[in-house]
Amino acid sequence: MKRRLPFRRWIRRVMQIVFLLAFIGLIFATRPVPGETPSWWLKAYFLADPLILLLTVLAAHAVPLLALFSLVTVVLTVILGRVFCGWICPLGTVHAMTGWALDKVQKPAKRRDTFSPWQKAKYYILGGALVMALLGGHWITIFDPLVLLYRTATTSILPAAQWGIETGANAVYQTDPRLGRFKLTSVTEPAYQYLRNHVFVLPKQAFLGTGLILAFFIAILAANAYRRRFWCRYLCPLGALLGLLAKRPMLRRAVASESCNECGLCTTACHGASASGFGSGWKPSECFVCLNCSTTCPRDACEFTFQPAIWRKEPAVQPVGLTRRGVLWAAVGGLAGFAFLRTTPQGRGSVYHPRLIRPPGSRPEPDFLARCTACGMCMKVCPTGGLQPAITEAGLEGLFTPHLVPIIGYCDYTCTACGHVCPTEAIRPLTEEEKHQIKIGLAAFDVTRCIPYVYGRNCVVCEEHCPIPEKAIYCVETEVELREGKKRLIKLPKVDPEKCIGCGVCEYVCPLDDAPGIRVITTNETRHERHQALLPEVESEEELPY
Amino acid sequence: MHAKSTRREFLWHSAVATGGLLLPAQSSWAAPSETKMAITKWAGPAPQSPAEFAKIATQLTEQAVAALGGMSRFVKRGDVVWIKPNIGWDRTPELGANTNPDVVATLVRLCLDAGAKVVKVGDNPCDLAQKAYASSGIADAARKAGAQVIFLDRDRFREMDIKGERVKSIPVYPEIVESDVVINVPIAKHHVLATATLCMKNYMGVIENRRVFHQDIPTCLADITRFMRPTLCLLDCTRVMLAHGPKGGNIQDVAVRLTLAAGTDIVALDAFGAEMLGRKPTDIGSIVKGHQVGLGTMDYRSLQPKEITLS
Repeated sequence: MKRRLPFRRWIRRVMQIVFLLAFIGLIFATRPVPGETPSWWLKAYFLADPLILLLTVLAAHAVPLLALFSLVTVVLTVILGRVFCGWICPLGTVHAMTGWALDKVQKPAKRRDTFSPWQKAKYYILGGALVMALLGGHWITIFDPLVLLYRTATTSILPAAQWGIETGANAVYQTDPRLGRFKLTSVTEPAYQYLRNHVFVLPKQAFLGTGLILAFFIAILAANAYRRRFWCRYLCPLGALLGLLAKRPMLRRAVASESCNECGLCTTACHGASASGFGSGWKPSECFVCLNCSTTCPRDACEFTFQPAIWRKEPAVQPVGLTRRGVLWAAVGGLAGFAFLRTTPQGRGSVYHPRLIRPPGSRPEPDFLARCTACGMCMKVCPTGGLQPAITEAGLEGLFTPHLVPIIGYCDYTCTACGHVCPTEAIRPLTEEEKHQIKIGLAAFDVTRCIPYVYGRNCVVCEEHCPIPEKAIYCVETEVELREGKKRLIKLPKVDPEKCIGCGVCEYVCPLDDAPGIRVITTNETRHERHQALLPEVESEEELPY
Repeated sequence: MHAKSTRREFLWHSAVATGGLLLPAQSSWAAPSETKMAITKWAGPAPQSPAEFAKIATQLTEQAVAALGGMSRFVKRGDVVWIKPNIGWDRTPELGANTNPDVVATLVRLCLDAGAKVVKVGDNPCDLAQKAYASSGIADAARKAGAQVIFLDRDRFREMDIKGERVKSIPVYPEIVESDVVINVPIAKHHVLATATLCMKNYMGVIENRRVFHQDIPTCLADITRFMRPTLCLLDCTRVMLAHGPKGGNIQDVAVRLTLAAGTDIVALDAFGAEMLGRKPTDIGSIVKGHQVGLGTMDYRSLQPKEITLS
C-alpha cells in the first residue's frame, strides 16, 4: 500500500512559521519614523479578524471600514473550516510550538485525545460577549488571540529583550574586552547601534503592568501541559466565532469505513480534539485542518475531500452541540458581567479619573471603550513611550487600554502616529493641524512642589519645553521673600488654560522627577463636553465684574 | 631671461623674503593666525529661495573660518573632530530653533579638507533626538558632507569631575570630550530664562541632568564652559529667534540677519550675539559671569574683529 508522505503537514508548518514571522515583523515595523505616517498594513492582522469587526459593529454601531477585510477570513472559514486557527493564527502557532516542545519533555503524548464537552465553553463565552457587545461592551476583545499576542509581545517580551541587549551591549562597551587583537565591541557596537536606530522605539522602553500581562500569557501557555492547545480548544472567542462559521465547511474529512480499523491513531496527533470517536464523530467546528489525522493514518483511511454543496450530508459532520439552555445561561452571564462592568462610578460616567489621559483623537470614554481592543499598537508606536496600559485607571472594562503617563513619556507635539495605527478607530486618525486643536488634558502647578514657588529659585524648564508656539506656560516676574527678609526677583510659571493641550512635556521634564511640580490631569479634555471646568476667556480690555 | 644672481642680490632678496615672512606674524592686519574674531555679513540681495539661503550660509561660514586663518589653524591632520551644533528641537530650519544645517555641513567639509580623520556631529536634544535631527535638516546635511551623525546614548554619559563653582560633577558625554577638537556652533536665540542662548549655553548639549542649571544659569554655564575649554566657536546669526525661545515655533519670532561670527573668545562671541538679538551684553548673566571669571572679554570690539561684507 502506498504511504502518504507527511509533506502536507510540513506545508502547514511552514505556513504557520511564515505567518508568525510576518506578525512579529509587523510588530517590529510598528515604530515611529520622523516625517512619516504609519501605513495601514501594519494593522493587517487585526483587520483580518472577524471577531473584532463583529464586536465593534455591535458595540459601537459603526463599521471600521478597513476591518471589512476580515470578511475574507469569514469566506475562507466557510469554505475551508478553521484554517485560520490551524495555519494562520500566530497565537495558535505559539501554542502549537509550545505543545511540540512539551512533547519532547513530557513524552506521554501518544494518548488518544477526543472531543471534550468542555470545549463548548468557548461558544458560551462568545455568546456572553455578543450580549455584552449588543449592550455596548467591547471588553472581550482584550482576549482576542491576535490582541493577546500583540499586547504581550509589545509590552513585555520585546522590552525584556531590549533590556537584555542594552545592558549587554553597554557592559561590553564599558569593559571593552579583547581576544588577542580582536575587540568584542567591533561586533557588538554596530549590531547594537543598528537595533537602537532601526528596531527599538526608544531607549529603555518599559511598560506598566507587564507582570500581569505576562502572567496571563504564561498561564495560557502552561495550560498546554494539561491539554495541547488548551486555549484554542476551550477558551478562544475568535476560535468560537470561526467554529460557528465552520459548522458545515466545504472541505470535509472523509473516513473510508472499509479501511478504518478504529485504531484511534488519528486522534493522538489531532490539534483540536475534533473527533468524538476513533475514526468517526468529526466536528468541523473543532477542527483546525492541521491534516495530522490523514498524515498519521497507517491505512490511509482518513482523507480531506471537497464538498461544494454544503447542504449535502456526506461526508458526515457532527454539530457543534450547543444547548438552548446553555446559550440562555451564556446570555444571562453576559448581561450580568456587563452590569458588573458598568455599575461602577466610572462606568456610570459620574467620575473622571484625573490621570486617565487618553491619546489625542480618542473618542469619548463610552465610545472609546466600545472600540478599543487594548491591542497595544498605539503603545508600540508612541515615540516617547508615554502611552501605557491602564491597570486601574479605566476600571476593569478599560483594562490594558492606552493612557498617557507623562512622567514616563509625553505626547510629542508633531506626532499623530497612534490614531493612524488604531485598528478600530478608537483613536481617530488626525492630521497634525487637527491634533493641535485637541486638548487631552490640562497642566496644573503643584505650588507645594514647584521649585520657584516653594524654594524661591528660577527654574521654568517646563516653559522652555512647552511646544505651543505662543506658550501655554508663561512667566510672571515676582519678588519673593527668602530667609531673613532677603528679596529676590524670580520668574513664576503659570498655565494658560486656553492654550494648554495637556501634552505633558512639562511634567516629563520637571527636575522633580519623583513627584513633579506640574501635573497634567484630564480636566478640559476636548473629547468630553461635560468635562470642561473652565469657561473660555473673554477678549475684553475691561476688568470682569467678579 | 637667464641671469645668475650675484651674492649681493641673493642676500638682498633673502632679507626681503624673510621680512615678508615675518611681517604677517607681527602685524595684526596681516596675521590670520592671531585673529581672534571674525564677523561675516551678507549685504547682497535677500535670498529668494532655500537654495540661495544655503549658498549664502555656506559662504558666510567659509569666509569667517578663512578670516581666522583657515580650518588648519584648529584642526590638524588625523584629528577627531566633534561639531556641536544646537539641534535642540523638533523644528524646521526656517523657525530658527536649531543651527543652520548648511553652516554645519560647511564646517564638516572644512574639517575634512583640513585633514580631520573623522568628523562627528551630535547634540543632546530636548525634543526626541530622531525627530530633532531629521527636522533640523542637520542630520542629512552633515551626512552628505561626510560626517558621522551620532545619537548620544543615555547610558553612556560619564559622571565627570568638572570642579566648577556651582557644578562639581555632572554626567558628560565622553565621546565629545575625548575628541581632539570640539567646534561649538550654536544659533543665536532668545531664551526665557537666560535672556539669550548663545555659545556658552550650547555646551548644555554635552551633558545630562542639565535641568538643575536653570537655578543659576550664569554660574553653571561658566562652569561647563571652563571645563570644555573652547577653541573654535561659530555663532550662527543667519536667522535669529527674538521671542518665545528657546523652542519658538512662530515664523514671526524669527529675523533673518544673514550674519555669522567666528572666533576663539567665547564670551566675545556671546556679547556680539547679544547685540544681534537687540540686547546689551550686560543684560545677559552668563556673559557678565564669563567676563568676570576670565573666560573671555565681553567687549568684543577690543579684539578688533575682522568684518567681512559679502554680496
